[in-house]
Amino acid sequence: MTRDEIKDLILEIIEDIDEDAEFDGLDADAPLRDQLDLDSMDFLDIVMELRKRYKLQIPEEEYPELATLTSCVNYLEPKLKDA
Amino acid sequence: MADYQLIIIGGCLSGLAAGIRAARFGQNILILEQHSLPGGLNSWYFRHGHLLETGLHAMTNFAPVGDKRAPLNRLFRQLKLSRKRFVTREQFGSEIIFPDHRLRFSNDLSLLVQEIAREFPASGQGFLRLVKEMETYDPFAPAPWRSAREYLSERLADPLLENMLLLPLMVYGNAEEQDMDLGQFAIMFRALFLEGFFRPEETIREFLGLLIDQFREFGGEIRFKTEVAEIVHDQSRVQGLRLQGGEFLTADRVLSTVGLPGTAALTDWPLEQKRYTGRMSFVETISLLPESRRHDLSRDRTILFYSHSNSWQYQRPEELIDPSWGVICFPENFQGIKAKKTFQLRVTNAANYDQWRQLDSGAYKKEKERCFKESTEMVAKIVGNYAQDVVYQDSFTPLTIERFTGKGAGAVYGSPIKIKDGRTPWENLFIAGTDQGYLGIVGAMLSGVTIVNQHLLG
Repeated sequence: MTRDEIKDLILEIIEDIDEDAEFDGLDADAPLRDQLDLDSMDFLDIVMELRKRYKLQIPEEEYPELATLTSCVNYLEPKLKDA
Repeated sequence: MADYQLIIIGGCLSGLAAGIRAARFGQNILILEQHSLPGGLNSWYFRHGHLLETGLHAMTNFAPVGDKRAPLNRLFRQLKLSRKRFVTREQFGSEIIFPDHRLRFSNDLSLLVQEIAREFPASGQGFLRLVKEMETYDPFAPAPWRSAREYLSERLADPLLENMLLLPLMVYGNAEEQDMDLGQFAIMFRALFLEGFFRPEETIREFLGLLIDQFREFGGEIRFKTEVAEIVHDQSRVQGLRLQGGEFLTADRVLSTVGLPGTAALTDWPLEQKRYTGRMSFVETISLLPESRRHDLSRDRTILFYSHSNSWQYQRPEELIDPSWGVICFPENFQGIKAKKTFQLRVTNAANYDQWRQLDSGAYKKEKERCFKESTEMVAKIVGNYAQDVVYQDSFTPLTIERFTGKGAGAVYGSPIKIKDGRTPWENLFIAGTDQGYLGIVGAMLSGVTIVNQHLLG
């Protein structure tokens, strides 16, 4: 997957989790949590979706890597390079 | 490989919510329900051509679409159900009625604030402070038991006002007698006063249908009329479940929603039954009355919490029932509910399980009728006479509750001692539901969700 594809994947997963998600004006370097008003239960869903779709195991101590859209892409790029 | 990754005992609200969550991300999830209908305490039945709901008076924790942090909306996201398509009907407004004072409240907190300022001017500021504290209090942070009565007394300094506020909060969720843990108080205070009452547009049947459809959509399997006889285990792990009739199902993990005493009965968990069996149970009577009387009997209130005595106590009565205080609910009095030929008036009174238990079947019937009469007389003092207009009436006792829900001693709010992390002495057996500490319908469902998130997704 390219960086752009990973970005779209994350946004698609969030949209799937939250029917009210608004991406207009989303800052890729600011925390997703604050911008989209998501909580830790929603973040768990992002992790679980990645596991379900790509068999990706993300240990709990690495959840902070998913804080912003850019950090998600950085973190997932090597893991999804063959996906 | 085990037959199932996870077996959930109980097709109740917490069991179904847990099931949806587990099935969304896992495989081979089975729910076992002993009855032919789902819902547990919150189910339905047909009598006299009417669908009658058990349990549900109203759902608490009302939140409008878009308020992402509200428990109701978080719950819908977790279950991947559309909150936008779920139609909610808010209450007209409710009232707490004591001999010398009345307090109205609605889903807009300012009404209760005004009422308290008028009826108890000296406590007005204290109540505002309490609201501020409750808005930010974290009831799920581990904390030792703390007395809600002492907390209230420090802020309001008026025992009558304290009683009036506690009555609805206790009768809708407190498993303890007399007092309440502050954490449980905070949950109930938010659920009732800060968020408020609503109903699904239709009945509990359609709501449960929505949950079962979602569970099946995610590949889950549910078996009705299937009673568990035994949770089979060794020292540290559960192997599976033996069903009534002998079938044995193996499971990697088991989640029980049948309460602590119920779960103990299926294992050989040496729980001190007495400490974990709640003493608070209730008698509920449903009366169907002609629609023409709805307005004058209900005065457009949704729920009335009444006590004929200022020194009200939340405790198991000595007698079969205590009609001197209780709840009167008008389930048709929600915004946008269509009127029918008849409307319901539901009355809930505290009851003594042991007293009901001792009656033989003849006496049971007679006493049920006598209690209905007594209760109706007490309720008539609040709403006016209605006994002569009753089209149909049905009531259930602590024994009915025990039989249909498996809740020991008919204790609808479960054990006075909660197990907040859902763990048991067996590493792959967990509990969810009332005995895990969340309250109400939304609470029971969040309990199922939380326990799955914490222990059962890995």
